[in-house]
Amino acid sequence: MTSSADSGYSAFNAQPNIYDEAFDSCGAPRPTWAIATHAVGSMEPSALHDRQRDADRLLDAEGAGHLVHELAFDRGTDRHGVPFAARVESRPWRLDPLPYVLDAAEFAVLSNAAIQRMRLLEALLVDSAGERQLVRDGVVPASMLYSLPSFRAHTAGFAPPRWLMHYALDVTRAADGTWRVVRDLTDAPSGLGYSLLNRAVLARLLPDGLRSAGAAPIASHADRLRRSLTASAPADRPSPRAVVLTSGPAHPTYVEHSYLATRLGYHLVEGADLVIREGRLWLRALDGLEPIDVVYRRLEDELLDPLERGHRGGGSGVPGIVWGARSGHVTLANAYGSGLAEEQELRPYLGAAAERLLGDRLQIDHLTMGELLATAPVFTGRGASALEPRRVVLRLQVLNGPDGHAVMLGGVGRVLAPGDSPEWPTALLAKDVWVVGTTAPRPVAVMAPPQVDFGPSVPKRAADALYWLGRAAERAEVAVRAARVVGVQLDQDPMLTSVGDGGWAMGVGALLAAARNEPRLSTSELPLNVGLTGSLQATVAVAAQQLALLVQEASSVREFLSKMTGRVLGRLARAHGQLLDEASPTDELDSVLVDLAALAGLVMESTVRGPAWRFLDLGRRLERALAVLGSVEGALGVDSAPMALQPLSEAVLGANESLVAYRRRYRSDVDLNAVLELLLRDDANPRGLAFQLDRLREHVAALAWPQGVDLVQQASAAAIAEIDDHVAGERRVSLDSYVLAVRGPLLALSDAIGQHWFADPVNPTLMGGF
Amino acid sequence: MRTFRVTHRTEYIYGTAMADGFTVARLLPRDTPLQTVRSAEIDVTPLADEWEESLDPFGNRVVHFAVHHPHFALTVTSNLEVGLETGELPQGDTSWEGVVARAAGARGDVAAEVGPFLAHTWQTPALAALWELTGDVFTSGRGVIAAVQHLCHHIFNEFQFDPTFSDLSTPLHSVLSERRGVCQDFAHVSCAALRSVGLPARYVSGYIETVPLPGEPKLVGVDASHAWCSVWAGEFGWIDFDPTNNQMPPLRHVTVGWGRDYDDVAPVRGVVIGPSSWQTLTVSVDVAEVF
Repeated sequence: MTSSADSGYSAFNAQPNIYDEAFDSCGAPRPTWAIATHAVGSMEPSALHDRQRDADRLLDAEGAGHLVHELAFDRGTDRHGVPFAARVESRPWRLDPLPYVLDAAEFAVLSNAAIQRMRLLEALLVDSAGERQLVRDGVVPASMLYSLPSFRAHTAGFAPPRWLMHYALDVTRAADGTWRVVRDLTDAPSGLGYSLLNRAVLARLLPDGLRSAGAAPIASHADRLRRSLTASAPADRPSPRAVVLTSGPAHPTYVEHSYLATRLGYHLVEGADLVIREGRLWLRALDGLEPIDVVYRRLEDELLDPLERGHRGGGSGVPGIVWGARSGHVTLANAYGSGLAEEQELRPYLGAAAERLLGDRLQIDHLTMGELLATAPVFTGRGASALEPRRVVLRLQVLNGPDGHAVMLGGVGRVLAPGDSPEWPTALLAKDVWVVGTTAPRPVAVMAPPQVDFGPSVPKRAADALYWLGRAAERAEVAVRAARVVGVQLDQDPMLTSVGDGGWAMGVGALLAAARNEPRLSTSELPLNVGLTGSLQATVAVAAQQLALLVQEASSVREFLSKMTGRVLGRLARAHGQLLDEASPTDELDSVLVDLAALAGLVMESTVRGPAWRFLDLGRRLERALAVLGSVEGALGVDSAPMALQPLSEAVLGANESLVAYRRRYRSDVDLNAVLELLLRDDANPRGLAFQLDRLREHVAALAWPQGVDLVQQASAAAIAEIDDHVAGERRVSLDSYVLAVRGPLLALSDAIGQHWFADPVNPTLMGGF
Repeated sequence: MRTFRVTHRTEYIYGTAMADGFTVARLLPRDTPLQTVRSAEIDVTPLADEWEESLDPFGNRVVHFAVHHPHFALTVTSNLEVGLETGELPQGDTSWEGVVARAAGARGDVAAEVGPFLAHTWQTPALAALWELTGDVFTSGRGVIAAVQHLCHHIFNEFQFDPTFSDLSTPLHSVLSERRGVCQDFAHVSCAALRSVGLPARYVSGYIETVPLPGEPKLVGVDASHAWCSVWAGEFGWIDFDPTNNQMPPLRHVTVGWGRDYDDVAPVRGVVIGPSSWQTLTVSVDVAEVF
């Protein structure tokens, strides 16, 4: 391969006696490096830079769920009162466009070692909860074992169907070229989702390279996980239901939780979504409690059950779930107490434990302190070749299911930053691991027992989040549109501020305040000099805040949204920052409107019409109906001078995206009654009040919810009332009372939705007692 | 044999109705070589919707129960009646180093029995400051019973009983540096000190009789659950001592259960699910001898 020889990488790898993945000790390229460079194509630094940019973009699009972590959430709180900043914990990683290639024979060594370790750790867990042979024989010192916080004393006597379903093993190559074990992961092993995600990116970036290299596919590992989960259900459940349990978007590996749930087709649930009753586990769904049989927990032992010793996080988690698992009514994968097996303190005794429990010797040694590691070429963009030698830790994924142990033929390689400990890498840079030259037959698709169709079931929390997602999207659009319309009017005619004795300025000030959802000020309270610039900035800030809320709500319900939605959310997340940074953001406002329209389109076109969609749309329609009323009341409620009325009416029409429709219909100067007709009563105007009320009526009818039907009926009845021109004290009192009469039942509807559909008082509190 | 009756009442009151309540109670006593449980029952108000009794890994009786209907209050009352033999210290003694070596080298059932009680836990950590307590006590070749008696004495003299100082979250190092605390703290200090020299030690949870005997001072720790310590002394088995009252062996002590520390045998641990609200906790304990 001339390309590798040309890359100039060898010049930077001037570390004698240290194994390098690219070149052997004589400086000749290794066959696996030739495969990697061939897959990437050109090794020119500029070409590599392009590849990296593409990889960044694709990763962003695939894993937009992580954007919630990326947002500069330094302001405000979410609707639960949790500060945004407190939720920012992880940073997204970059994917190296150069794969880490291993040949099948070498991978088989790792694979066998990983299976051996998984069997050992499972045997150790069985023993520590059962016979305690390791303690009886003095293989493991009791004073150490029983002092580990991860030793769950109350798992004693516990015999789950399987301790470990999923195990991950970190390995790395030492400087002499042989492999070392770095770390075991048995509690809630991460990396499987990241592996699939990274591979999805490289499959799009290097489709031909992947094919010509003959890299083993890894996607079937997710299907195997699903089969294993289903098969682990308690015996009497013919069509078991499984969920993925997370602690929520603040968890450092939440991106993966969301990605895996979507990939498995399971609900991603949080502790508050589940409840134990009569020993069984139930999901709090919109239609009541639904039984759950298997929990793929991404929540560590210490966060799982507040009734258990050593629980962290007050009352959070699922009270009684360990009890439910003990009684065999629900399966936890991995079993509660599995965290013990990954303890570092056990490591010195694992060799002896393997001999005692398996009658076997450990196949790979542990990494010792200060041991030198091998290097691999990593794209850093620096130096003549843009590549530098770096240490890499590979994470292997093993599943134990009905068809036995299976190691995923690939994985994630985490690139250590200089000074990083191999155990705790900064993990900002990852490599996709390819296994080439496998002769194993392609996995055969096996029919799994059917998962009960979750179609109509929606966890209450998810419905809640979708509803607020709809409201935030709409409120963001309202604020953006109002700011944009007023800004453009002002740019085109700066003299407008003095038109009609300041009537325009006062009117658009009220329009902007309404868009910010601020209560209407009475005329006498309006400041004489309405600081329009400040008001515009405040409105943009509200738009940005609503975008942040939108992304945040969306990130907790990613599995309900189409894959493409992730990209749009990514763009909106970035727009959030730009809106706040730019002084004159008209262009940015335009692009936000386009993205919001794309989001709305995806929601309409790519979301299954079920209760999930219905709550999202309910939120949108309700927010829009309230926004139309607010804009009309704010801008047109004041009896302003005729000179001001014309631009003001245009502003209101523009803010409701109805100006073009108005001009096409009336082909005239603006007439107040015609404006009100189009905005409030024309049921063909998709931006008007009447149209929103029609949609609301459909939704509450479909939900078979009498209280909702009644409230929408009240609003609709008020909405057809006539509005005359009665003016008193500078206000169009007839319009004011119209708005009040319609808004009342809509606000009542808003309260009722929360009370009726979402208000399950889930606030677990720990109680002590002497 | 003397007979004691215990009533232990724990009452939670919530500001608003709770939807679900889960409770783990370790209130039912176990038999010991000196204690015979005559009767023991737990009453819960409101009536529990689920109830399960089991044994924990240390052989203690555990009750799990749950209420799944709206409730403004939860009351857990245990009524016990036990017969107690008066304990006596064994005749003779054996060197504490010998016991330490035996515990460390134990195999088989003995290893499984004493192993957990050699381990330092978060409530009984291995602190360097423990040496101040053990240094003068565990001198070379001394008998284990004599040494533990000395330790019990030492803690009783050095530490001040002060219910205002500590609660369950007070770390052991504060108790050690301030030399004050309550019975749970002194039991933890004892366990940590014994384990730091390699002796297996249990944290024992239970009650102490509240009525002072004529001519004796009123005992500390009345009207509350009580805790003390038990040391493994090789061929002499487990020997209880109460550092809060400087008694060895303890008298008039009703044992509920034991573990590595308080967390293993917390009398009541629960979680309620409901709206955010205030809650109050009231505990009362009454121990009386029945003649």
